Amino acid sequence: MKKIALLVCLLLFTACEPDDVCSENTQTTSRLVIEFFDIEDLDSPKTVAGLFALGIDADGNEVNILGENVTSRSKIELPLNGAQNQTQFKLYKNYDIVNDVVEGNSDIITVAYTTSSVYVSRACGYKNVYSIQGFSIETDADLWMINGEIVIDEVTNENETHVKIYH
Amino acid sequence: MKPMSKYTISILCFLLSITISSAQNEQVETLGEKETDSISFQEKYGLRFGIDLSRLGRTAFETDYSGFEVSADYRLGQRFYVAGELGFEEKANSNNYLETSAKGSYFKAGVDFNLYNNWLGMENLITSGLRVGVSSFSQSRERFTIYDTNSQTWGELQNSERTEFSDLSAVWVELIFGIKTEVFNNVFLGFNVQVKTRLTEKSPSNFENIFIPGFGRTYDSSKVGTGFSYTLSYLLPIYKKARSKKDATVEEETTIEE
Repeated sequence: MKKIALLVCLLLFTACEPDDVCSENTQTTSRLVIEFFDIEDLDSPKTVAGLFALGIDADGNEVNILGENVTSRSKIELPLNGAQNQTQFKLYKNYDIVNDVVEGNSDIITVAYTTSSVYVSRACGYKNVYSIQGFSIETDADLWMINGEIVIDEVTNENETHVKIYH
Repeated sequence: MKPMSKYTISILCFLLSITISSAQNEQVETLGEKETDSISFQEKYGLRFGIDLSRLGRTAFETDYSGFEVSADYRLGQRFYVAGELGFEEKANSNNYLETSAKGSYFKAGVDFNLYNNWLGMENLITSGLRVGVSSFSQSRERFTIYDTNSQTWGELQNSERTEFSDLSAVWVELIFGIKTEVFNNVFLGFNVQVKTRLTEKSPSNFENIFIPGFGRTYDSSKVGTGFSYTLSYLLPIYKKARSKKDATVEEETTIEE
């Protein structure tokens, strides 16, 4: 009988679970995924040479995005600012720094959204889910982007494209 | 090991222990028939009241916990007891992203089965039992920080607005394994462990029950929970009864022979 009691105790104390740590595989707050497409062939993705993104805060200052590097690619993930109902980004094409002077063509995009906090788990707490309300490209003299459209308005994961930009 | 398989093992242990104990019963009965000794022991039957020492201890030493539990059992037969617990618990939980607290009262009722064959003159218990538990409680969310692995760009977002979720409830069943030893006349010290599983629960919207009074903490991946208590109890004897009917018969026969 004592052996059984011991066995039960053993089972109880091995019953610890790793759910006090938020797993990396858990989908928490997602970034906005923008994919670039060819304006001449709307269904085919088109690489942007030397693509680089900067965030623009409420005061108009440029903010570095963590993990953002200059690379040629057709897809970019951008973190939205949950403290505001819109975030602006400066997207460069052919970004380069020559003699401390930034070269390349920059266009500014504005994403407007509503934010809701959704419960995930005891370890991860809450995540933000953004519902995109509007997307616009600011006009300037030399636009490399031609058009943009919202494909999926709920930003819940990074495996799907939320906004398409044609160039 | 998945929690569900642990639970299955626990049930198997429970069944196994019953089988073992019934096998032992048979042995004792066979011996009893041959016995001609006229010494019989009157066992105490009555109502036992107890208090959980572990909850008092945790209340004193843990800053994020307070609670108490009283228990009672009534002996129905040689081995069967009806038993129940009544308690109140308050527990705060916090990590970097979420700070909550839950408080409420609970009630558990069920049966205990004594698996132990005492020596003559001793009344200790090794019990295996079943309970149904009901809890009524409220939970509050003190603050939360949005979990965002890319928050370095714009900064962390914290919500410190306290929200209270009331009228929450849960119902569960539990297997309870314990020992009770008579340390002084009618005074028992005991320890028990509980393995439980939730049947139903009312959770707050856009949140979940982190801690359920009486049930304990919850787990993301299963409905299983665990618990333990150290009890100090007092038996209020109501009547006495010979150990078993067979023993009593032997006794009568001996008297006639004299």
